[in-house]
Amino acid sequence: MKYDVIIGLEIHIQLKTQSKMFCSCSTDYFGKDPNTLTCPVCTGMPGTLPIPNKRAIELCILMGLATDCAIDQSIKFDRKHYFYPDLPKGYQISQYDEPLCKNGYVMIREDDRTEKIEIERIHQEEDVAKSHHIVDPTTGLEYSLIDYNKAGIPLMEIVSKPVIRSAADARLYAARIRQIARYLDISDADMEKGQMRCEPNVSIQLPGTWKYNDGKILPAEKSNKSDKAAKLNPKVEIKNIGSITAVEKSIDYEIEWMSRELENGNELEQQTRGWNAHTGETEFQRTKESAEDYRYFKEPDIPIINVSTSNVDTIGEQLVKLPSERENNYIEKLSLTPYDACVIADDRANSEFFDELVSKVSEEISGDLSEAAKLSANWLTGIIFAYMNDSGKKITDINLRLEDLAHIIAEVQAGKANNQKAKKLVRKALETDGNLGELYESANTQVISDVDELETIAKKVINANEKAAQDFKSGKQNAIGFLIGQIMKESKGNADPNKAREVLIKLLES
Amino acid sequence: MKVDKDFIKHIANLAKIRLSKEQIDKFTPQMKTILDSADVLQNFDSEKIPQKRYNTLEFEQLRDDKPAASQSQEEALRNAPYNEKGFVKVPGGVIDN
Ligand SMILES: [Zn+2]
Repeated sequence: MKYDVIIGLEIHIQLKTQSKMFCSCSTDYFGKDPNTLTCPVCTGMPGTLPIPNKRAIELCILMGLATDCAIDQSIKFDRKHYFYPDLPKGYQISQYDEPLCKNGYVMIREDDRTEKIEIERIHQEEDVAKSHHIVDPTTGLEYSLIDYNKAGIPLMEIVSKPVIRSAADARLYAARIRQIARYLDISDADMEKGQMRCEPNVSIQLPGTWKYNDGKILPAEKSNKSDKAAKLNPKVEIKNIGSITAVEKSIDYEIEWMSRELENGNELEQQTRGWNAHTGETEFQRTKESAEDYRYFKEPDIPIINVSTSNVDTIGEQLVKLPSERENNYIEKLSLTPYDACVIADDRANSEFFDELVSKVSEEISGDLSEAAKLSANWLTGIIFAYMNDSGKKITDINLRLEDLAHIIAEVQAGKANNQKAKKLVRKALETDGNLGELYESANTQVISDVDELETIAKKVINANEKAAQDFKSGKQNAIGFLIGQIMKESKGNADPNKAREVLIKLLES
Repeated sequence: MKVDKDFIKHIANLAKIRLSKEQIDKFTPQMKTILDSADVLQNFDSEKIPQKRYNTLEFEQLRDDKPAASQSQEEALRNAPYNEKGFVKVPGGVIDN
């Protein structure tokens, strides 16, 4: 790549509240008839007053605390004006120069590589209406239909510093933000439902022409006076991204498009482009407004809100152990691979299930924690995840007694139970919501390694398969595989295959 | 504030309004008059006037997150000039995707 890639990400996330940001209308808008969840406040009727939702502000502060932001303890709202009718007031209540949270960071991880992604700000605002764009098939006339049910839902905007240097890291960062929001139940952050939206801004610059300074990309200083002052290439903002993978794809497309434009001698223009998931391309939408076009000013209808340190501390009590800390623990203390660590820590409930399983397994095997962790990871990411995947269930829908599962894991590990059979039993318990302990007690999973018992079975198999036995005796080594298979069948899979082989050979060679 | 034809065109563009050349010529001096009047206020020396502090709210005074009934769809659409199938209807091209 000839160019340096510079990416910043704006992420909007709806906050999981019962009522809207500035009025008491319900936020339960999914699948509702249009314009049935509005009131004079959220439709901007004259004489109404917005009253901020306490829970929404708590959730925004919680996100700030989880990302190590400084919290502004005197909250100021501003009006952001624009002409689109997606908010009936003619402006959006947002925050301009004093965001609720600022200067935080998250760590992203891919295998052994970790990166710190700095967060510039997290501010509190309100969502806008949903609109459908329609072209009349007979007249060709274009119009939009607007549903204000979504207008006024609490929204937070998380703005990263322009420190992301690849499309893949942008994807990891978006996934991390979503993870944290879900861990803390701040939002379900479902991108398909529009509960989370990512808007990357991307520019490409020739190496040496730019520098990063305090959250800003600036032209590099001239190295000598004869140099022309370096002019930065403008950035492009990408909208309409509907999934975490589309974050990466759309940025990759954009980088290629911009470098081709530059190579063809074209000048880039600051603009907003829309990602089209069907064509896998971005399309021109509009030239971007600048901040002054929004004519921000302080929202006169909402006083400054004082948040005390004890308010912040109380909100902080809702914090839990977060995914990157869990990943680090798994890798450093439990010797899991970074891959397994990330897969398990991805979801809070999965991760909590894993922690309990590890502790139960370690009691059973009286081995070290790493051994218990390795076994637990294999069973969780193997058979249990497979079942969750097939059934669409979550770990919290599963009723396995962890003691039973840990006991079986330990028995298999000790060679006392047949691995395949034990896994089938667990699957059965999952599918039937059965009692794993009872199933295990009544099922015959004990490995047969007793020589006398194996000899009895082997003799029976030899008698029934005289030709194979003869083949082996006359030097056909692979005939033994067939006979072992028959022993396994005869023993319903419980014979220890290695012992069975020894017994067979002994019998046939005698 | 510098109010010229480009400024008027810029505002028209933001508002998604198409203006004819004649309209731009007509609106430019009108807009200048309006903004000059606003400038009178902007330039008023308020330094010596004691600042009244903004009222403040304590965090505890904020609204509890309890939903309440909304108005009906009919009520919501009552002041919309055009509607269709329960939606508010607006001309094409004026809304951001
Ligand atoms: Zn409302």
